[in-house]
Amino acid sequence: MRRILIIMLLPLMLAVGCKHKTETPAEGALYVRYASLPETSVAQVCGFQLCDTVSVDVVLLQAESDEAWQRMKNEFAIVDSIGVTSWLADTEEPATRVKWEGQPLLRIIASHDKQAIGLYRLDSEEQYDALVDYQLNKMTNDK
Amino acid sequence: MDIMNEKQFEELWVKAEAESHAEKLAAEYPVWRQKTRRTLSMAAGVALVLAVATPIAMSPSATGNYNKVYCNRAGIQDQQWVNLADELLMEG
Repeated sequence: MRRILIIMLLPLMLAVGCKHKTETPAEGALYVRYASLPETSVAQVCGFQLCDTVSVDVVLLQAESDEAWQRMKNEFAIVDSIGVTSWLADTEEPATRVKWEGQPLLRIIASHDKQAIGLYRLDSEEQYDALVDYQLNKMTNDK
Repeated sequence: MDIMNEKQFEELWVKAEAESHAEKLAAEYPVWRQKTRRTLSMAAGVALVLAVATPIAMSPSATGNYNKVYCNRAGIQDQQWVNLADELLMEG
C-alpha cells in the first residue's frame, strides 16, 4: 500500500517540478519591436545569468551593414563613432537617457567595433547591483 | 448407503470443482505476489529516477548561463548571442 502511494506521489512531484523548472519565458516587447529591423540580427537572451541568484533579459541588435548601423545609431541617438557608448534608458523609449532612481530601466551598451547594441532590462536594485558587480568581477579576473 | 440423486451429485461436483480451484489459486498465490512486488518495486524505482533526474536536466543551469534565446535569424547559435551579451558588458 505504501509503495502504491509512493508511485502515485512521485509522478505528481515530477509534474510539479517540471512545470516549475521549464516555464518558457516569453518574447519581450523590445525584441518584438526590433525583430523586423532591416539588415539587423536581433535576439533576446532570456535569463542571462549575472550570478547564482540574479539574471536579466537582454535584447541584442547587430547591424549587418554600415547603413543598418547608421540607422541604429540614429534610432538610439548615438553621436559617437568610436569605442563604446553606454547609458541608462527608459524601458519604453530606449533613446531617452535617464538616471537610476529604483524604477525599471534599460542599461544600454553600444559597441561601434561590433556594430552591436545590448539592452539589459533591470527591474530591481538587485539586478542593477548584480550587473555592476558582474562587470567589475569580470574586468578584475581578466587583468 | 443411500444412492445420490442427480441434484446431490451436481452440488458435490460444483463443490469439488470450487475446492480444486481454491487449492490451485492458493498454490499460485506466492508466485503472483512475488511478481507483483517486483513490478511495483521497478515502477517505484523508475518514478524515483524520473522525479529526480528530469527537473535537474531541464533546469536553467543545464542549458548554460541562460534560459532561452529568441532570434530573428536562422543559423546563429544561441551561445554566440550569450557571448555577445557578455562581451558588451565587458566593453561597457
